[in-house]
Amino acid sequence: MFKRLKQKSNDQGTAQSSRNIALLLLAATLVFVSFSLFSSVLTWILLLVACGAVIRGAIYYNYYKHLPSIRTLNLLALLSILGLIYSALSAGLLFGMVNLLILACALKLMQMRSQKDVYQLVISLFFLIGCGFIFNQSIGFSLFYALLCLTLLLSLACYHAPSIRIQKQLKTISILSLQALPIGLLMFLVLPQLSPLWHTPKADGAQTGLSEQITPGDIARLSQSSELAFRATFEDTPPVIQQLYWRAIVMEDFDGKTWKVHGYRKKMRELQLKIKQQFKPILTGSFFNYEVIAEPTYQPWLYALDIAVPADPKSSRNIMQSSDFLLFSQQPLANKYQYAVRSYPKALASQTLSVTDKKINLSLPANGNNRTREWVNKLRAQFRNNNDFVDAVLRHFVDNPFVYTLRPEIMLVDPVDRFLFDNQAGFCSHYASALAYALRLGGIPARIVTGYQGGELVKNPGESPYMSIYQYDAHAWVETWGDKTGWQRIDPTALVSPDRIEFGLRQAMQEEGSFLADSPFALARLTNIAWLNNIRLFLADLDYNWSRWVLGFNSEKQRDLFKSLLGKLTPERLSMLGLGIVVTIAMLLGLFFLPHWLQNRVATTQRLYLKALSAFEKEGTQRATWQGPSAFNQQINEQYPTKVSDPFTHITQLYLRLTYQNKLDTDSSILSVKQCHRMMRRYLALLKSELLKN
Amino acid sequence: MTVLQSYWNKWLNKRIPAATQHHLNHHNIFIFPAKFGLLFLSLCVLLFLLGTNYQNNLMLLLCYFLLAIFLVTLLASYINFARIHLQIGKCPEVFVDDNLHIPLWLNANIDGTSPANGLLHFKFQAIKKQSNKKAKAQHIQSSTLIDADAFTNPINLSQKCHQRGKLTLSRVTVESFYPLGLYRCWTHLAFSHQITVFPKPIPCEIQLHVSDHTSAKKSGEMANEQAGHDDFSHLKTYQIGEPLNHVAWKQLAKGRGMVSKQFSSIGNHIGWLKLSANYTNKTLPHPSQELATALEQELSELCYQVIELSRTQRTFGLDLGAQCIAPNSGNGHRVACLDALAYFPKWGDEDV
Repeated sequence: MFKRLKQKSNDQGTAQSSRNIALLLLAATLVFVSFSLFSSVLTWILLLVACGAVIRGAIYYNYYKHLPSIRTLNLLALLSILGLIYSALSAGLLFGMVNLLILACALKLMQMRSQKDVYQLVISLFFLIGCGFIFNQSIGFSLFYALLCLTLLLSLACYHAPSIRIQKQLKTISILSLQALPIGLLMFLVLPQLSPLWHTPKADGAQTGLSEQITPGDIARLSQSSELAFRATFEDTPPVIQQLYWRAIVMEDFDGKTWKVHGYRKKMRELQLKIKQQFKPILTGSFFNYEVIAEPTYQPWLYALDIAVPADPKSSRNIMQSSDFLLFSQQPLANKYQYAVRSYPKALASQTLSVTDKKINLSLPANGNNRTREWVNKLRAQFRNNNDFVDAVLRHFVDNPFVYTLRPEIMLVDPVDRFLFDNQAGFCSHYASALAYALRLGGIPARIVTGYQGGELVKNPGESPYMSIYQYDAHAWVETWGDKTGWQRIDPTALVSPDRIEFGLRQAMQEEGSFLADSPFALARLTNIAWLNNIRLFLADLDYNWSRWVLGFNSEKQRDLFKSLLGKLTPERLSMLGLGIVVTIAMLLGLFFLPHWLQNRVATTQRLYLKALSAFEKEGTQRATWQGPSAFNQQINEQYPTKVSDPFTHITQLYLRLTYQNKLDTDSSILSVKQCHRMMRRYLALLKSELLKN
Repeated sequence: MTVLQSYWNKWLNKRIPAATQHHLNHHNIFIFPAKFGLLFLSLCVLLFLLGTNYQNNLMLLLCYFLLAIFLVTLLASYINFARIHLQIGKCPEVFVDDNLHIPLWLNANIDGTSPANGLLHFKFQAIKKQSNKKAKAQHIQSSTLIDADAFTNPINLSQKCHQRGKLTLSRVTVESFYPLGLYRCWTHLAFSHQITVFPKPIPCEIQLHVSDHTSAKKSGEMANEQAGHDDFSHLKTYQIGEPLNHVAWKQLAKGRGMVSKQFSSIGNHIGWLKLSANYTNKTLPHPSQELATALEQELSELCYQVIELSRTQRTFGLDLGAQCIAPNSGNGHRVACLDALAYFPKWGDEDV
């Protein structure tokens, strides 16, 4: 870049001067692109961009006439690059690349003098817009970037035709884009979707969604968010809402306050990633298929109903199954991620429990929560049978006035004791944590599973039903092991607040009024107002279809598309399709060009005469503009032998007769127009052959 | 290189023969991606790689859209360029070392259809005979930028004339990058013309050989005449066609109508302009460089004299040895004389 700055500037005259509106459009585009990437661009680079834009604006509106000198810019470039190296070294490669690109564009904007500079800036900006799609993929941003693309094309058009009004340019560009759009879409649909060619640096951001550890109360914070967590599309009717426990993370390590993912599982997963080995759960019973589109979380956890396995080859290439029956992606989710899974809801009961599993799921902190310990010891003495013991613990939640609340008191010391016996008010994580702890104390392997519960079902006629699961659907529940029953899901929250499970958090929190209390204007909170709710549902629908059909379009979808078009994928049918496309394009082109060709065609009489003239022109005799046909014929008679001039005389006579004779005479004459033409053709052939002999 | 060049020229002459006017169509338009177009294509490739690696459909869509734009622009730039219609206009007289301004009429008598848009670059095809640097310098000099949306007809292309005789007008290269700069549309047009470059007039004494044609060799009979010595004889009614500088404006002002002055010198001083005999003698032993320049010098002086004599409406003849033009006057005679001077064989041409 440094060297590029040094190139000699040569202004291409007044027409392409620095006061062209194209340059202003370029400046605007750069500003918009870089500010759309606000979160991943360094602030001082944004300032440079703004400076560049201001300089361009000042020059365009004639407030100022001089560009900064090359030497100043070189110095600035040097300093900026040092600054960039300093600040981007720690961040990722992608971050560095994007920042470097924006920096280079900003400097180029300040320095832009020649045509070459403009072209370089345009190309860089297109590339920058492409990079923008790594970070933002929503419909809004896509439309915004599309608009910026059109602006870039517009600036190019303005640059090459400086005197045309901008409205007319806009029309030209719109027509070009409308012509290009179907071709582009066709290419997108037809050209093969390749798998990644090499590993690329991913965008990284703050992790969102569920975390790998919970201290009771944490999920309550998540419940204040109405952001989308993921969407699931079912092939058939989805299971009833009480069965929709979306498993994400399993926590088995308890220290008296906080549940964490166990170190053993972490190590196992790392090992699995290294040797690419899948854990294979025992799959029994009925199953159903569905697709999930997960929102970016910058975490590897995926969501699925128990017990899920990847359902298509593409998903199984990227998704790993862990020994605690959860799915995780090989890379953290930096973009929306779509995967297909198959769930076996009854398979949880038929899994095995290894010695390590058992040890992990029975481990307890050395001390703390003494009242709970005493209480469990007492109960355990009373109920020797495991099932009876579990029932007895659960009865504690039913018999006592437990309250389900999003605003629990903070319990710092012995949280389980205080929750079970003093406060008796808490969120799902409190219940799950207390139950799992109690069961472990009673010698029953138990663990906490976090994920989401429920979701909003949307059924559009003619389409597969889908569910939207939002962050406020986050939930925690307990899994216990029974020697006969296998792993079993127990949700203590369901006992305390059945509404939470059956109707979702909104219903459960109606009395308390704490649902999304922090964001009073969230659309999700205002479902009582019918039209607002309709808008919300419409936007959700739009976003779902966008994710599913545009962002999630892949080679399988492509094959499905071809299948639905052709019925069966045979080489003949495929080649027929290709042929069809080519013919269609040729016909479109024909439609485009036909008027042009027809315009150039002259009447037959004229054409034949002109052909005779051009034959002479090749020989070097040209009809002067002032010569009439008869005069030219005379000249030919003088210049050429009779063998040549004779047919030409006939042609001339026929031409004169057809062109200038009275219409009525022509109709009544012996020779019809067609016969005349035929004769003209014959004489023309004769003339040409004689000329060749000559 | 030269062989290729000659083939290329031959092909061009066949493909785009010289004409007084050209309507651009698929016979004479060349179109190829410009440098920026190639850059644009590499951008598409880069976006494709990036989009594939990130499995980012939007990036792929952008890539395909830009590719489609690239395709569509091919047609758009062709159609725009094919709207150009060029016609060569009338040229003023031109002498050696003058800058000839060739007037080209762009879309002058085209109506109905929409005209071409965008910037058009006009330049003469570079002459390859010269050393590269010189050719380049000339190249830049003769390039003219026209905005097809804001210009005044005719477009003047200037070319320096180096040699007398029929003007060798190199092909005019017209190029356009409209609409997006992705394609370069260009054409090399040859214009047929009747432009003769006259020798450069060099001021000198007017030497009219008064004697008749056969006895002109005696130098003593030379009549040294200064221009403007003609005597006024009488006035007569003005006739359309007579030079305006002969009109007696004073008489007109006095209200006596348009009358023109008549001069009496014409009958008295019929003379011949002559080329020195040694150039007409073709059997001279050693044609040398000095002789060639001397010939050019003499032709230039003759040229000056022809112009001067014609200006003053004198009757004179021109004797170039091989070619004689009988004494006469008027514009036709003047042009005939200048033509004869321009086409006088170059020294040494006969040997080749």
